[in-house]
Amino acid sequence: MNSLVDFLNNFLPLLYIITFAVYFYDFIKENKRMANYKRLFLFSTLLIHLIYLLLRTAEFDHPPITNVFEIFTILAFSVSFSYFILELVTDIRGTGPFIIIISIIFQIISSIFIEDLVEVKEVLRNHLLGSHVFTALLGYSGFTISAVYGFLYLILYKDIKLNKFGLIFNRMPSLEVLERLSYLSAIIGFILLTIAMTIGVTWLPKAFPDFSYSDPKLVSSLIVWLLYGIGILSKVLGKWKGKKVVVLSIIGFVMAIMSTIISNFLANSFHSFY
Amino acid sequence: MNLLSVCINHHTAPVDVRESLFLQTDETKIFIKDIKEKYLKEGLVISTCNRTEIYGLPVDQNITSQDIQNFLLDYKLKSGLDSEFFHHFISKNAVEHLFSVASGIDSLLIGDNQIFKQVKESMEIAEEMHFSGFLMKRIFDAAIRVGKRAITETEISEGAVTVSYAAVQLIEKIFSTLNKKSALIIGTGETGEIAAKHLRDKGIGRLALTNRTFEKAEKLANELNTAVFPFDSFKEHLYKFDIVISATSSDNLIINKQNIEAAMKKRNYASMVLMDIAIPRDIDPESSKIDYVFYHDIDSLNIIVEQNLEKRKAEIPKVKAIIDEEVANFFNWYNSLEAAPTIKTLRDHFEAIRNEEVEKNINKFSESDREKVDIITKRIINKILHHPTVELKKNSESGTSQDESALKISVLRELFGIDSNSRKEE
Repeated sequence: MNSLVDFLNNFLPLLYIITFAVYFYDFIKENKRMANYKRLFLFSTLLIHLIYLLLRTAEFDHPPITNVFEIFTILAFSVSFSYFILELVTDIRGTGPFIIIISIIFQIISSIFIEDLVEVKEVLRNHLLGSHVFTALLGYSGFTISAVYGFLYLILYKDIKLNKFGLIFNRMPSLEVLERLSYLSAIIGFILLTIAMTIGVTWLPKAFPDFSYSDPKLVSSLIVWLLYGIGILSKVLGKWKGKKVVVLSIIGFVMAIMSTIISNFLANSFHSFY
Repeated sequence: MNLLSVCINHHTAPVDVRESLFLQTDETKIFIKDIKEKYLKEGLVISTCNRTEIYGLPVDQNITSQDIQNFLLDYKLKSGLDSEFFHHFISKNAVEHLFSVASGIDSLLIGDNQIFKQVKESMEIAEEMHFSGFLMKRIFDAAIRVGKRAITETEISEGAVTVSYAAVQLIEKIFSTLNKKSALIIGTGETGEIAAKHLRDKGIGRLALTNRTFEKAEKLANELNTAVFPFDSFKEHLYKFDIVISATSSDNLIINKQNIEAAMKKRNYASMVLMDIAIPRDIDPESSKIDYVFYHDIDSLNIIVEQNLEKRKAEIPKVKAIIDEEVANFFNWYNSLEAAPTIKTLRDHFEAIRNEEVEKNINKFSESDREKVDIITKRIINKILHHPTVELKKNSESGTSQDESALKISVLRELFGIDSNSRKEE
């Protein structure tokens, strides 16, 4: 089974690249027939990715959350999965390539550096830790999608202002829709991160003897949480809108990713497990 | 097939000439009534601002398309009009031209949906006036099929190709739905009126008008059931609107950057779209520098129009392929209406039935009777088909009208399901 896990690990980046190519081709050509095929490609990729994650969990006897590269493959999956659900619900199909490319980046990094760890700390097999990590990752997926829509909002805003009526203008939904999608994704991300942090703060001190409130991952997550909290509150109160909110979302996303990477490589963090 | 067609359209004649031959609906009906008695037994008359086209099957072989052209000129009292303004088509070319018109590729604005509706209306008039016979009905069906296929199978009608529609398309890239938005139209001339109607059709939440001549704005407002602002004070209300479309004939700017800045402050910088479709411009272009103000003038809207027209032009080969296919289908059907192949197909059809039944039941007869059964059933079929065969042969002989013969053959093929059977075999 190990060889199958290895094969899927190498095969997944290729699958995401093919799915991206199909989505990108449709973005350029806007072929009506292609529209449904591309969804099938994404579904197949996600199904194979899910099988890979389950096989990996069974093979190594722990969920793939023990190091940053395992987390990246889950992030790749959850970003594309969230987009898949979003596409089904909203039927907005032109934004796929911009989100799938994020999954490609996460999956390539994961596939290259991931290690087959059989021996992990017992605490990493705990269900509460699983809930903590999965809600945090889904939250980060929300932030990722929010940032992508925020980025597309800025491009479309600029294009319309400068009378550039190219592919982005023709394929994107309206500015209002992009802003709304970015905002809703941020809210979902914020709620999930809040849950993850609540589990973390209440349970982790008991589970980890070296738990510290000054842990870099904890501090950076708190900053990200505050940043999104301020952005969402400003939007709710009607103080901020449009560009300001989406720029904040992009900054929040960069900080969230940076905090994951940095804290996992810092030796003095209890969040580093290998 | 002796289908004749006389056309005057934007390819062949300037607007004043086209206008002079335009037939209103009532006029078209009278024209059909008159031409039916003298020249055409069945046909179609299409008359729009861009074209007047007459299609039809002549009452006798001696009538030419020139006779129909002369009849139209006499009817409109324009007998001195130059012949070079007209195009004449016969048979396959006439069918092909009608299909091109219905598909929109012959229109001034390529892919214009309007012409498809106009062709359908013309066909309804022909039906009403009993001007659509057996052949024309078949041509109408095919033409409608071409029009529908062009719209659904190609992108010939996609995208805005007028400035007013381009403005609406652009607005839809900024706001997701228009039913919660408000719009102000400044200037209620032709352009302003079209823009107002487009917005109303798109379901704009609140629409208001203003015009230097208040009465003119009021008249349109009554028609569209919208509010009217006096021209002197509309700037005070600018902040209430998400969309401002200006189309006045003013020589100077009527809205400056300060007006927009003041409105934006009051709106708390909620997005505002300014569409300046006037020449010379009405709104200060510097307004575009204000955050969340989307200012566009006629040049920027023309970019969208040009892009969409290019895209539509690229779709023409696909539409032509549909036309070729439908023309081929039509003539396959028409050619099948000849007597000799029909007699053969009819005989084959009956023989197939006879053969099937004999084979199914042959074991019920003794060995010695089987040959007799075969002979008797063949004789029955021959006797049944004798009279229709003689009649069909008579039809193909000279003296019988070609179209009358085609009608009889068509009915026969339809009654015995020969067309559907041969299609199944294919």
